[in-house]
Amino acid sequence: MLRALSTLGARPLGRPPAQFLLLARGRKTRHDPPAKSKIGRVATPPAVDPAELFVLTERYRQYRQTVRALRKEFVTEVRRKVHEARAGVLAERKALQDAAEHRELMAWNKAENQRLHELRMARLRQEAREQERRQAEEAAREAGEAEAWAQLKKREVLQLQEDAKDFITRENLEARVEEALDSPKSYNWRRDRHTRGHSGLCLWASQIASSFLYVGTFVHLRYIPPGPQTQGRGHFQQ
Amino acid sequence: MVQLTIVLYKAYHQFSHLTIRLALGGCTKWPFYHIVASLNKCPKDGHFMEQLGSYHPVSNSYGKKLIALNLDQIWHCTGCGAHLSKPVEKFLGLSGYFPQHLTVVTNAERFSKTDTEATETRELTSVNIAVGIRLKSS
Repeated sequence: MLRALSTLGARPLGRPPAQFLLLARGRKTRHDPPAKSKIGRVATPPAVDPAELFVLTERYRQYRQTVRALRKEFVTEVRRKVHEARAGVLAERKALQDAAEHRELMAWNKAENQRLHELRMARLRQEAREQERRQAEEAAREAGEAEAWAQLKKREVLQLQEDAKDFITRENLEARVEEALDSPKSYNWRRDRHTRGHSGLCLWASQIASSFLYVGTFVHLRYIPPGPQTQGRGHFQQ
Repeated sequence: MVQLTIVLYKAYHQFSHLTIRLALGGCTKWPFYHIVASLNKCPKDGHFMEQLGSYHPVSNSYGKKLIALNLDQIWHCTGCGAHLSKPVEKFLGLSGYFPQHLTVVTNAERFSKTDTEATETRELTSVNIAVGIRLKSS
């Protein structure tokens, strides 16, 4: 231990040595001189009775022999207990019980895992079936929607075809224009504080109602298509 | 705080041993001792491994000084290599499980040389120690 701790006293060069002793008041160190009152003092050991010393020596020998024997007994007792705890009958029984308990626990764990696995598989199968059903429903819905869309477009196409029969073409342009001009329907419209820019038909009622506030001029314009007299330009005329 | 490395720790504790001794407690004018098993390097009233008994040096109302000893654990600690201090050896000698300590016998004999027989009996019985022993029931 001293060799191991001797490195603690090693200090670099130039530094004062480490202080291991602390000076306490009233205590003399080995370097202090003795007091004047102790000059003629001669240290004498206490007187020893040789008979008592002999008796005591023998008694101490017997005492220590007894105590040593007792200590040996205690040591053997401790070692026996340690050996029994490690490799005794009780320890073996306990080890067997522990092993049996461990086997039981492992078997129970295995059974639990199997049960949970089966539950999990059933749940997964159920979820897969649900997923398939949802997908089938989704596909059917999408198919229905596509069919409806197709039908709508078909109807629109047919409607357009029907409407196309009534379109204005170059052949019937003149006739349609004359027909529009001769019809009583007015396409003029106006906006004021009481209206919202409705078309001519809706405006009749509001026009009558607001005639008391505002008197406007209602102009029927006549459309002149382009022709040789109009110099190739169409225009409106009152 | 300094913590020793493993090497220094082992080097330091290689030469320390378990000791069963008295640890002082209580207050002024009322001492009280615990009989403890601790390493000899530890402070005598400080950290200990195990308490093995107690000793009241002050007489109680019946004039007795009580000593308690956990003999099973004392034997176990001694079997593990614990040393015993002189007061603990004296207590064990008084309890009867150890031989009587020689200082007790020697002091008694010395007193008997100077004083009369009455003084000797008074010295041996003046202690008035009541020893409580705890043994495992097995």
